[in-house]
Amino acid sequence: MDILLDDQEVQIREAAAEFLEGECTPALVRKVETDALQYSPELWSKFAENGWLQLCLSNKAGGEELPLPYLGLLFEVAGYHIAPIPLHATMVPAMIIDRHGSPEQIAMLQAVIAGDLIMSHAVAEQTGHWSIEAIALQGRIEGHELVLNGCKTFVGSYRASQQCMVIYRDVTAPDQLGVVLVPTGAKGLSSEALISMAKDGESNVRFDNVRVPLSARIGNTQSGNLIARELMDLSSVLYASMIAGAARRTLDMAVAHAKQREAFGQPIGAFQAIQHMCANMMNAIDGTTMLSREALWRMQENLPYQVNVAQAKSFGNEQCMMVVRSAQQIHGGMGFIRDFDLNLWYRRVGSWSLRGGTSAEHRKTIAAALIDQPGRVRIGSIPQR
Amino acid sequence: MNFTFTPEEEHLRTEVRAFLVEHFTDNVRAENAAGKRGEGWGEAIRDFFEKVNQKRWFAWSWPTEFGGGGGDRTAQFVIEEEFYRYTGITLGGGTGAPSILMFGTAAQKEEFVPRSIKREIIFCQGYSEPGCGTDLAGIRCRAKRVGDKYIITGQKIYTTNAQNATHIYLMVRTDPDSVRHRGLSILLVPMGMPGMTVRPLWTVQNDPPAPFGTTYGEERTNEVFFDDVEVPVSCLLGEEGGGWEVARRGLNLDRVGAWRYLISVMRDEDIVNWLHTEGELQDTLRDDPQVRDKVAEMWTEAEVCRLMTMRSISIEQNGGKFTYEGSAEKVFAPEHSVRATEAYSQILGPFAQLMQGSPDAIEKGIFAHNILGAYQSTINHGSVQVMRDQVARIGLGLPRAAK
Repeated sequence: MDILLDDQEVQIREAAAEFLEGECTPALVRKVETDALQYSPELWSKFAENGWLQLCLSNKAGGEELPLPYLGLLFEVAGYHIAPIPLHATMVPAMIIDRHGSPEQIAMLQAVIAGDLIMSHAVAEQTGHWSIEAIALQGRIEGHELVLNGCKTFVGSYRASQQCMVIYRDVTAPDQLGVVLVPTGAKGLSSEALISMAKDGESNVRFDNVRVPLSARIGNTQSGNLIARELMDLSSVLYASMIAGAARRTLDMAVAHAKQREAFGQPIGAFQAIQHMCANMMNAIDGTTMLSREALWRMQENLPYQVNVAQAKSFGNEQCMMVVRSAQQIHGGMGFIRDFDLNLWYRRVGSWSLRGGTSAEHRKTIAAALIDQPGRVRIGSIPQR
Repeated sequence: MNFTFTPEEEHLRTEVRAFLVEHFTDNVRAENAAGKRGEGWGEAIRDFFEKVNQKRWFAWSWPTEFGGGGGDRTAQFVIEEEFYRYTGITLGGGTGAPSILMFGTAAQKEEFVPRSIKREIIFCQGYSEPGCGTDLAGIRCRAKRVGDKYIITGQKIYTTNAQNATHIYLMVRTDPDSVRHRGLSILLVPMGMPGMTVRPLWTVQNDPPAPFGTTYGEERTNEVFFDDVEVPVSCLLGEEGGGWEVARRGLNLDRVGAWRYLISVMRDEDIVNWLHTEGELQDTLRDDPQVRDKVAEMWTEAEVCRLMTMRSISIEQNGGKFTYEGSAEKVFAPEHSVRATEAYSQILGPFAQLMQGSPDAIEKGIFAHNILGAYQSTINHGSVQVMRDQVARIGLGLPRAAK
């Protein structure tokens, strides 16, 4: 047991931070928000060229095969710099393909690593609920094809993507979920762009008799439920990593501001009211960071992790929203002026904390593990799947 | 990054637990409670301590030359956790010995450390005074150097375990002209010296007696008066005037670790384990969405307490120094304990007010006793307000307030 970062983890994190520090400015983030697809192709290409997309993909996919916690560190850094690239949208399905895909699907990851293939993943539907039960998009097998009907909502970077990983429900076996890769140019697909606080390219997507070959499915009929769950968990926990990173940046901004802004004859950072707010922010960020790292670490080690993911996201949503709101409070009026940068982070944490599962949704998972299973519980070792 | 204990550490955990089940019998438990009350240590508990000492579990990570186990910090945490969960006994040699190891002379190490490990020497902590608590820079208790002696005059308060201690780890002002934290020193003073008086202060959560596991279950604390108490100068720990640094390092050790963690999270386990039991109230609560949401929320906070403790142990294991981490943990964990206790009380309703011995009390009244006990840990060993100051100033570099 040593939960601190080791030298290599620090090194990778600092290298990623240095890269984004140089390449990703608030001016770029602002500009991209007004672009049609709401991401920066230039930054995405450079990000790929520098090897960041291959960090945790396996050797067989052409990657470096570093353990999953490295992906978490990369997402923390991406969140810190609110990099306007489809990193979350792409890496979640890419990791799922790497773990469960066919050789042909794994071969596609070469294009991901090169920055030439952007992916998205579609989970939520009309209700917006983040739960297995809420998935209703119908999948029907006809010959060698899968026919999809229904709609998906809140699909990140959909319109920038060429492939979308979709969770569907088997019409002939309603207990059975499937996961399938759908080319976004397929006939029968239509989308509408959403205008979220984050302005980072979410869409709703309609499926009208969309046909894909059965070979586009990830895994087999038996593994669909597990893969769907894994996709959702990876999506959730990486949002938690990003939220923690973004919140940490707002704490840094708030502290810098509090040190130089004077009121009543001293820097406002000398007031305990401000100091104590900052201390709470620190614990909120550290808590989210440690919970998300532990969840990813357990995933890597093939230990049960669903409750850990739920803890990271439920805690991160509320606590990091508190952080960015406190950063606003410390900045006073200028924080909510559009030209001032703080709102770029505030709006993203606002959106990200609502995607990939709300606190209430994730706590249902935690409560079920705690309350609905027999046996004595102990902090740190909850019976979970 | 590694979040689990090794198979060897898990094996040690099993071994410790088996040892406790075998040797910490009801009789030993009763004698331990009586001893803590100041009624003297019976033969059974002394025999138990001797067995523990043979295993070197009291101070597993301490150097073997002084009677420690020479093991690593993580393994010591595992032992501490199992001990506290099963017996309520805290390990690690208590307040004095860690800083004697750090700052003591060779003679002091020889004199105090091995006997502390064996519990022949027990320190109580003489920091707080009627005029100062967490702000130790306000200390007025005076030690005047006369030849090869110090003459001590003043008063200490909240001196927990003074009734059982053999020594007091005493912070005094050795330089009468000094202000704030300059001119403070630490003296290792034997209890019962002429001129010393110990008076009990009884705590609110123990009337009627609190059940095992109550957060801040100490039944008694004390006032200690010093009326021209003479001690040899060899009692000085570290440099004269260097007491602040000695204490500062020692205090961090009090604020983190298995004990602090467990007193903060045990109610979270209790409520879930109780919900698993049969009963009309449990049946109505188990499926209540609000109850489930709150329990899951509090459980998650408890997991954060665990991770903060893991972080501290990792830092110590690596031989690192705390910057803000110990203080941050001393904010989050005690406050979690209060939030959880109050939330569970609201879930349990009027039953949660019932104390040990009352009809209808839930789990021996632990939730009621905890309402009276949990908040004490936000005060003791450095209030959470001052801990936040430290996070802000040391961790984030925010400035001190203008005078």
